[in-house]
Amino acid sequence: MAATLTGRNTKLRDDLIRLLGAERVMDSALERHLYAKDAGVYRGNPTVVVMIETTEEAAQVVRTARRHGVPVVARGAGTGLSAGAVPEVGGVVLVTTRMNRIEEIDAENHTAWVGPGVINLDLSRATTPFGMHFAPDPSSQSACTVGGNIACNSGGPHCLSEGSTVNHILALEVVTDTGDVMIVGSGAPDPVGLDLRGIIVGSEGTLGIVTRALVKLTPNPPDVRTMAVAFATIEDAAATVSGIIAAGLIPAALEMMDQLMMQAIENWLHAGLPVEAGALLLAEVTGVTEAVEAEAEMIAGIAQSNKALSVQVAASPAERELLWKSRKSAFGAVAQAAPDYYLHDTVVPRTRLVEAMRQVYEIGQRYQITMMNVFHAGDGNLHPLMAFDASEPGRLDEVKAAADELVELCVEKGGVLSGEHGIGMEKRHLMPLLFTEMDLDAQARVKDAFDAEGVFNPGKVLPEGSRCFDFGRPVPEGAWV
Amino acid sequence: MKTPFGAIPAADISADQAIPPAEIALAPTTLEQASQALRIATERRMKVLVWGGGNHQGYGHRVHPDMVLITTSLDRIEVWEPEDLTIVAEAGARISQVEEMLAGKRQTTVLPHHSPTATIGGALAAGLSSYKRFRYGPTRDRVLETKVVTGDGRIVRSGGRVVKNVTGYDIPRLMVGALGRMGLIGSVCLKLLPTPAAAVTVSVEDPADALAALYRPLAVLSTPSGHSAFLWGTQAEVESQAARLGGEMLNGHAWPTVPSRLVGWSLRLPPSRLSEGLERLPEGWDYVAQQGVGIAECAADQVEIGAARELRGWAESVGGALVLTDGPETLYERIDPWGRAPAGLEYQRKLVAGFDPFGVLNGGRLPGGV
Repeated sequence: MAATLTGRNTKLRDDLIRLLGAERVMDSALERHLYAKDAGVYRGNPTVVVMIETTEEAAQVVRTARRHGVPVVARGAGTGLSAGAVPEVGGVVLVTTRMNRIEEIDAENHTAWVGPGVINLDLSRATTPFGMHFAPDPSSQSACTVGGNIACNSGGPHCLSEGSTVNHILALEVVTDTGDVMIVGSGAPDPVGLDLRGIIVGSEGTLGIVTRALVKLTPNPPDVRTMAVAFATIEDAAATVSGIIAAGLIPAALEMMDQLMMQAIENWLHAGLPVEAGALLLAEVTGVTEAVEAEAEMIAGIAQSNKALSVQVAASPAERELLWKSRKSAFGAVAQAAPDYYLHDTVVPRTRLVEAMRQVYEIGQRYQITMMNVFHAGDGNLHPLMAFDASEPGRLDEVKAAADELVELCVEKGGVLSGEHGIGMEKRHLMPLLFTEMDLDAQARVKDAFDAEGVFNPGKVLPEGSRCFDFGRPVPEGAWV
Repeated sequence: MKTPFGAIPAADISADQAIPPAEIALAPTTLEQASQALRIATERRMKVLVWGGGNHQGYGHRVHPDMVLITTSLDRIEVWEPEDLTIVAEAGARISQVEEMLAGKRQTTVLPHHSPTATIGGALAAGLSSYKRFRYGPTRDRVLETKVVTGDGRIVRSGGRVVKNVTGYDIPRLMVGALGRMGLIGSVCLKLLPTPAAAVTVSVEDPADALAALYRPLAVLSTPSGHSAFLWGTQAEVESQAARLGGEMLNGHAWPTVPSRLVGWSLRLPPSRLSEGLERLPEGWDYVAQQGVGIAECAADQVEIGAARELRGWAESVGGALVLTDGPETLYERIDPWGRAPAGLEYQRKLVAGFDPFGVLNGGRLPGGV
């Protein structure tokens, strides 16, 4: 651990202090320790931490870091789970949380320019008076920032019907590898040229630093029905999910939790969850009253034909909020089970949900890890949560091995590595499960087009050795291949 | 020239549609064949034009090809998973045929298919979305996986066959609207949507009022002859929404015909500026305007460069664009089809160079000659 407390660079720090003032430049051992990790299990080694307030400052920090040959790692609230904001090889941790202005809400065009440090839920609260909200709603939405959502292309329960963050970002202001500022995308549809906006969203801070974003706002639905349906087994709940999709319904959200997770939540929240049931399905439909009534009735019917134990419809906004609170606070509730947790994120085609879940529990048994599950069933996005005690020697390594197996089983079923958390450091070694050398080399070319020198968040997303010189890359003179 | 698979004689090419003259035209039936063709093109530094149904060739700077790669023999439906709401199809598949198949299970790609010959690859390359965009967002949001052949013949797969995915860079999204510069689109996995039970078209007086009265309609379209709202959903839902509008109601969707004349323009504006944009259209232009989206597809009988420049200048001043989508060859020499080049052109050039190092594939077609 000593390594994380060394590696200061006083010349770089002093240059940054001249730029930002001493109050916004931190490099004490404690400060560097605090910014060494995100909400996941990996740790890095920041050289210095800066709090920026303007685009120009971000650009200057990039230029300064470059001059010193030090990389830049952007960071929002640090709620990420794949170590995307972890400065693995050192560098300037550029914190955007002070860029938290909602600049202008354009009610007519349903858009707003916002800083990357704006907290997700604050944005939806600020736009409530206009009858609109920001659709991506990760469970961490009361803490996570829009900049982080952009970096990871975050999802949330309601991206079943509304799509992930990228569907809600119209334009970005970006500081580039040269320390210049460009705006990509537009408030008008189909801006001409390649879609740089679309490739930057979800690129985990490896292509540039986002300093402002033009977000699309979604009208609040006139009516909503939120239902909690209890089942004896995960299988029955999953069959209901398939039945709903097969009936031509795409609910606003379709979430599932297993018994262990329900019990953990109920212990502290007392939301009245049916803890004796094997699985709970949380379904929400939104729209005009006629539509939500019809759809809620259809869902209840499909659930009953799949042996639902009970169907409860939230009778008031307060009841609805409580249901959602139980869903979104699930991960906090796990503290009772064990001091540490590893929250996973993988995806299978939704038709393979049942078999995937069965194998998730098998892996848990084999490693003797408590697997608790609360996940986005509607789009096949699994979130097995492994509760463990990191102080037990070797335990974290076992948990990581189990995590890799979880990914492998999902890929075998036609799934992918991550649905909404990103690759970061956590899963880059698993990228070859999904992609050939040629595919990975193409992805490395995307990175190199924006950042050939590796200024931004080096080492993330792609495994080492992704660049393959067998595929006709021009080889730099004198390079070792 | 020795070719690895059947070449099409030049006489046959010119007889078929409007394929421009080239040394050779090839219709690969597999991605491996397309890869071989592009390796040859790269070795010989030939200029290659990709040709699907030939419906959207008016987009972008003109290419004078040495080789034409026809994609219509790459037309297999590889996998359709109705319960997953996904389909994997080769890019030369005709949208109209795919839609016909999907309709059997009441599903849709939501791709535009005004022309029966329009291919999936063509719509994606040109970055086109259907009139249902107001409700469902652009086509780009539904492209889950792509397999492309790069300019130098590499076959590259990106994305995944699930509806939610952040595994690596989102190259599939980058392929949409790239006009083939990032590679020949070989096959794609698309997210599908269920088709609701009831559909109606309601005529409306004021499109702004209609948008305000409705909760996320499918579309509100304006043409020179009036405005209509398009609704779908359950029977009760469309009836109650239609009642809010009060206009004349037709069962089904009476989509307007896409205007097609000598010259085509696509006016793209922040949605709130669309009405003003329509007022500024030169006399006699036909159009279909998508309210709430900000696009007006326009058609004119004449080449009116002065009027187009004036309209473009205004559109660009409010953050929009006026894009030439069709017209006589000479028009493309007199006016830039794209207008003002976007920011980040050097990054666009570098991206393209990574996928097509020698600029053989649809070279120069994008803004700024990328």
